[in-house]
Amino acid sequence: MLFTSDSIWTMAHGIALGGGGMLGLAAVLFYLWSWSVGSGVRPTERQATMFAGLNVAIAALLWATVIVGTFVVFPIYRLPPPEGVVDLAQHPRAFLVGDPELAWLHTFAMESKEHVPWITAMLASAIAFVTLRNPPQVFADRGRFRMIAALTVICFVLVSEMALLGVFVNKVAPVQ
Amino acid sequence: MGTKVEDLASRAGTREDVNGPAMAAFVAAGLGTFYVGVIVLLNEIGVYAAPAIHPGAGGVSGRMIFATIAWLGTWFVLHQLWRRRDIGPARVYRASIALIAAGVIMTFPPFWALVS
Repeated sequence: MLFTSDSIWTMAHGIALGGGGMLGLAAVLFYLWSWSVGSGVRPTERQATMFAGLNVAIAALLWATVIVGTFVVFPIYRLPPPEGVVDLAQHPRAFLVGDPELAWLHTFAMESKEHVPWITAMLASAIAFVTLRNPPQVFADRGRFRMIAALTVICFVLVSEMALLGVFVNKVAPVQ
Repeated sequence: MGTKVEDLASRAGTREDVNGPAMAAFVAAGLGTFYVGVIVLLNEIGVYAAPAIHPGAGGVSGRMIFATIAWLGTWFVLHQLWRRRDIGPARVYRASIALIAAGVIMTFPPFWALVS
């Protein structure tokens, strides 16, 4: 079989859901820059509503990413090998921890990936709520705009970092 | 493509003028991040280990579900308190960024070694 169900879940988690959220955040950053307070140009009401919809989609994607990651992919990753098993290829956590040169991929990368994505989902939810509640106000109120821009940048940086660490882990010890 | 600032401001003003609900969402996000950091740090230094709500995922399932419930509860309370008020955005900005920074630092594995 080309792909097992475990590897398909991992790809859905990292590429479709997490990757989709990251692309969406990049688009939001572009629009925030284009419609920034100093630019003098603002979106139409329809464009502001679509911007809110994009933020809602990002929040949904990031929540789906953390739920699938925590409750579907992570249990596969941390499954301990049965006693006497020497080939640890099917047991990524044990494989990484057992090699001193690779152990950081668990102790730093996976430990970070267990928690930080939940933070990004919370930040994205706040952004989605504020933009959806009154889309035009986001671009008329300097305080709201500044806060949304800051949270979006933080969210994008954290999602990108988690994606990069995920690539490293899955390159060395793939869930398969 | 775009529209004038004044047009948009006048349209926005017809819907909702108070910023309390938005500021509540931002502060709650900061506190939610801080809760995640605290519960992770308490676990790593051996003070409190949340139970495994999902056996396959282990302790992380309890930690993150508890933090999420605390975040949603905080957001609900702040929303109720501020829904008809205007809140100073500068203070909210500083508080939220500080809480997010503290929360993220507490989830940073090298920080656990420093603390413990």
